[in-house]
Amino acid sequence: MIINAKEAFNQDTIEALVQRAQQGEQAAFEQLYQQCYRRVYGLCLRLLADQAHAEDATQEVFVQLWHNIAQFQGQSKFTTWLHSVTSNVAISYLRKQKNWLQKVVSLEDSGMEQAEIAQCESLNGLDKLVLRLPERARLVFVLHAVEGYRHEEVAGMLNMAVGSSKSQFHRARKLLQEWYDNE
Amino acid sequence: MSKPTFEQFLKQQLPRQQDQDQLPEPRKDLWQGIEKAINLPAAEPRSASPWVKLAGVAACISAGLLSWQVIMTQPQQDTMANMSAFFEQRKQMLLVQYETQPALTQDWQVPLQELEEAEQAIKLALTKDPDNAALLKMLAQVYQQQLDLITKVHQPQWQQI
Repeated sequence: MIINAKEAFNQDTIEALVQRAQQGEQAAFEQLYQQCYRRVYGLCLRLLADQAHAEDATQEVFVQLWHNIAQFQGQSKFTTWLHSVTSNVAISYLRKQKNWLQKVVSLEDSGMEQAEIAQCESLNGLDKLVLRLPERARLVFVLHAVEGYRHEEVAGMLNMAVGSSKSQFHRARKLLQEWYDNE
Repeated sequence: MSKPTFEQFLKQQLPRQQDQDQLPEPRKDLWQGIEKAINLPAAEPRSASPWVKLAGVAACISAGLLSWQVIMTQPQQDTMANMSAFFEQRKQMLLVQYETQPALTQDWQVPLQELEEAEQAIKLALTKDPDNAALLKMLAQVYQQQLDLITKVHQPQWQQI
């Protein structure tokens, strides 16, 4: 068995910071933020496909985290819990943003514009394609393929049927392949 | 060297999506806003005057009636007029809600005015091409940005330094 020393060290650091933050130490929470903000922002951006919204949602995640960190009991890895909190915050952020619009406008939500994607220098090859996906296909692809949730879990999180989650996943793959092949 | 197939690309990229060097960076420092928010004292319930409460209830009822009307006419077409009417109701509700609450900055009306100008330009374009889905979407986004702006400047916990 190969142990990734850097990852193991980071994990230990994170767990120690969590314990200190649980005791109300704000400096430790700031260090925890420094360790984890890219994970949180990355997931928010992948789910929301909008830089400003992803930044807002990232702040919301950390504020919620500060208030609820005592609820983390350590049964799972902190990063697993953090991804779950982030996914839920980002999805509810999306719902809040869309709430009145969806009642009034029945337009299909498209992904990020290619010109905007080109301006995001820190995006990797897959993210550049994922951010172009239409909303539902993007959410399912990120939660299932990137975050590793089962279709049953994705369906519950997004309030859709399991079959819809699967069909949106196939739609996402088809679009991604089309764009990749044409690059 | 030939380009990897899509399957190879996915197989190579997906496991690396959580690597630090593969994760995107936000455009600005987010910590300061977070720090400010977590250090705010817990919000105390504000006691609004009965008239403010009454105005809020009236705005909610009229917005509810309007949205019912919009939903009932939905099968025909989502028009600019429906969207604009609904947005105006929402905007008025927010302005009533935040009437007694000071805004974070004094110059928030400037970006609001810019958004209103963008709204007018898109509406003008829509008069020539009323079914243009991209224009309708842009209009909806400009409306949403106005609502976000009004909300944000009245919610200090999200202030950016």
